[in-house]
Amino acid sequence: MTIDIPFIWVAFKEIIKALPITLILTIVPLLAGFLIGIVVALVRIYKLKYLYRIANGYVSFFRGTPIIMHIMVIYFGFPLLLDQISLRFDLGLQTNNIPIILFVLIALTLAAGSYLSEIIRSGIISVSNGQLEAAYSVGMTKFQAMIRIILPQALAQSIPNFTNIFVGFLHTSSIAFLVSQKEVTGAANIVASVNLKFLEAFIAAGIIYWGITILVEGISFLLEKKVTAYNRGGVS
Amino acid sequence: MIYLKGIKKSFNQLPVLKGINLKIEKGEVVTILGPSGSGKTTLLRCLNFLEKPNAGLVQIGNIIVDAEKATKKEMLAIRKQSAMVFQHYNLFAHKTVVENVMEGLIVAKKVKKKDARQQSERVLDKVGLSDKLDHYPSQLSGGQQQRVGIARALALNPEVILFDEPTSALDPELVGDVLSVIKSIAQEGITMVVVTHEMSFAREVSNRVLFMDEGVIVEEGTPLEIFHAAKEERTRRFLQRISGETYFLPLKEQVN
Amino acid sequence: MGKAFDIMLIFEFIPTLIHYLGVTLQILAVSIILGFVLGIAAAIPRLYKIPLLNQLVILYVSFIRGTPILIQLFLVFYGLPALLMLLFSIDITRMEAIYFVIITYAISNGAGFSEIFRAAIRAVDYGQTEAAFSVGMTSRQNFFRIVLPQAVRIAFPNMANSVIGSLKDTSLAFTIGVMDMMGRGDTLIAATAHALEVYLSLSIIYYIVVLLFEKIFSKLEKYFNRYQKADVTAVA
Repeated sequence: MTIDIPFIWVAFKEIIKALPITLILTIVPLLAGFLIGIVVALVRIYKLKYLYRIANGYVSFFRGTPIIMHIMVIYFGFPLLLDQISLRFDLGLQTNNIPIILFVLIALTLAAGSYLSEIIRSGIISVSNGQLEAAYSVGMTKFQAMIRIILPQALAQSIPNFTNIFVGFLHTSSIAFLVSQKEVTGAANIVASVNLKFLEAFIAAGIIYWGITILVEGISFLLEKKVTAYNRGGVS
Repeated sequence: MIYLKGIKKSFNQLPVLKGINLKIEKGEVVTILGPSGSGKTTLLRCLNFLEKPNAGLVQIGNIIVDAEKATKKEMLAIRKQSAMVFQHYNLFAHKTVVENVMEGLIVAKKVKKKDARQQSERVLDKVGLSDKLDHYPSQLSGGQQQRVGIARALALNPEVILFDEPTSALDPELVGDVLSVIKSIAQEGITMVVVTHEMSFAREVSNRVLFMDEGVIVEEGTPLEIFHAAKEERTRRFLQRISGETYFLPLKEQVN
Repeated sequence: MGKAFDIMLIFEFIPTLIHYLGVTLQILAVSIILGFVLGIAAAIPRLYKIPLLNQLVILYVSFIRGTPILIQLFLVFYGLPALLMLLFSIDITRMEAIYFVIITYAISNGAGFSEIFRAAIRAVDYGQTEAAFSVGMTSRQNFFRIVLPQAVRIAFPNMANSVIGSLKDTSLAFTIGVMDMMGRGDTLIAATAHALEVYLSLSIIYYIVVLLFEKIFSKLEKYFNRYQKADVTAVA
C-alpha cells in the first residue's frame, strides 16, 4: 500500500463536482430549520399551553439521538406512512418515485430545527431584561419588543453558535452518503472504489470539507465584527 | 526590614518607576499616596515581584535579590517573606474562607494541616469572621471578602504585608470595617506598606507617608509634615485636589 | 422496501440490540480517556506558546474541526496502515476495526478537549495566580492547586457536551465494520427486513443513554459549582 499523491488531485477535481449537493444538504435544512427553531424557541419561552410540552419533547429527542437515526427512520418510515395515507384516501401516490434527497432534507431539517431552537432560545434569554423594559417604556407591545429589540440582539450574539451549527451540518451532510447520495463523501466513495484508491479519495474529500470550513469560519468572523459593532464596549 | 535601591520599571519602553530608593524599618506603617499612574501600585508589586523590576535591589528581611538577575527561586524566597492584600480581594474562588487562609500556610510554610487550620481560625477570629469559616468567597460581601484577604496575609506572619488599595473596590459603607481591621493590625507592630486613597487612614495610622508622582518619590515625611507642611508644590496640589472630595469628610465625622 | 410496520418488533429488538451497548460504551470510554490525555498534551504547547509544536497543534485542531468524523474515520482506516507500513514496515491491515474507531475518536476528542482546556485555563482570573504567588506558591503549585481546579469547573459543561456528542458519533463506527449496536442493527435488518423498527429501537436506546448521561452530568456540574454564587441563591 503506497500513496499516489498525483491521484489526490485527480480525485479532488472529480469530487468537488459534488459540492453543490453537499451545500444544498447543508443550507436548505439550516434555513428551514431556522424557521422551526424560532417558532419552537418562542413556544418554549412563552410556555404556550401543551404546545410547549411538544416543543420540549421534540428538542430533547432530536438532540438526544444521532442524526443518522433521523435520516434512517424518515428514509424508511416516510414512504410507509405515505403509502398508508395514499391507500386510505386512494390517492395513488407512488412513493418509489420520491427522490431520496427529499427524505434526507426533511430529516436534516428536523434535526437542524431542534439545534437551532436551543441556540435562539439561549440567545433570547441572554438579552438583558432591561432591554425589554426599555422597549415597554417607549410604548412597544410584547410582540414589537421581541421583533424589533430582542431578536436582533439575540441573533447577533448567536453568530458564533450559528457558525458552529453550520460547520456541524456541513459535516453531518456526509452521512447522506449512507443512503447513496452523491454528495462529497458519496462521490469520494465512488471515486475510491472505482479506482481502488481509498486513501487518496478521502484525503481529497477531507481537503474540500476543511477548505469550506475555514472559509465559513472566516466569513463568520468578519460578519460578527460587523453585526456586533454596537457592542464594542470601552474595555475591548 | 525592607530596603529598595535604584528600582526601575518600564512597560513597553514607558518608564513607570525611575529609580526608587526606600528603606522601611521593622514595625513601620508606610502609606504611599499619589495620583493614578504615579507608579505607586507598581512599586508595591515590585516589592513581591508580581512585577519584576528591570533594575535595582530588593531586600526583605535577610533575603536580598538583584532584580535584573532574579531567579525564580529568589523571587519565591522574597514572596515567602511578604504577603499581599489585593484591591479586588483575589480570594481563591474554589476554596472556603478557612481554606483560603490555610492554603499559604500548608503550601508555602509547610505547616501541618491541623495546625494550619487552628492558626487560620485564630486569625479569622481576629478579623471577626469566625462564623463564616466554611463559606465560599462568592457567599460573602466585599467587606467580608477583604477581611479574609487580610487574614490570609496575616496568617503567614510575614516580614511585611503589602496593601494594594484595599478599600477602593468596596461600597462606602463597608470601608470602615475593613479600615478598622487594618488599623488594629497596624497597632500590633506588623510592618505594612499601604497604597491607598484613604487620607484619614494615612494621617491617623501611618508612621510615614510617601508621595509619589511620575515614577519618583517626590516627598516623604510624617503624616503631620506631609499633610500640614508639604514642601513640594506637587504634593500640596495633590492634597488640595483630594481634600475637596475626601480629606475633610473624615474630619467632619470626627468633630461630630 | 421492508415489510409492514410492526410496533411490537421495536420492543422485541431492543433486548437484542442493547446487548451490544457495551461495545458502544467501550469505544466511547476508551476514546474519551485517550482523548483526554491527548487534549492535555495538545493544550500545553498552545498555552505556553512552544514554537513549532504550537503551530502543529493549531493545524491538528483546525483539521479535526474542519472535517466530518466520517471522513476522519476513513482516513484513519485506510491511512494509518499505509503510514505505518511506510514508516516502520508494520502491517496492521488485519487489526480489528474497533481499534481504528477508537483511534479516530480519540484523535477527534483530543482536538476538541485541547480547545476546551485551553479556553478554561485562560478563563481563570489572573488575580488568582497573583494571589497564589503572593502567599509564596511556585508556578507548579499555583497551576495544580489554584488554576486547574477552577478550570475543571469552567470546562465541565463543554466536556459533558463533547462526551454526549461523541456518544452519538459512535453510531457511525459500523461504517468500517464494527459490531456495535448499529452493526448488529444492520445484521438484524438483513435478517428481518424490518429496517424502520430496528432504527426506532436504536433511537430509543441512544435516547435513553443520552438522557442518563445528561442527568449524571448535571449532578456533577452542580457539585463542581458548589462555590459559585448561583448555588447560594438556590440554597437561600
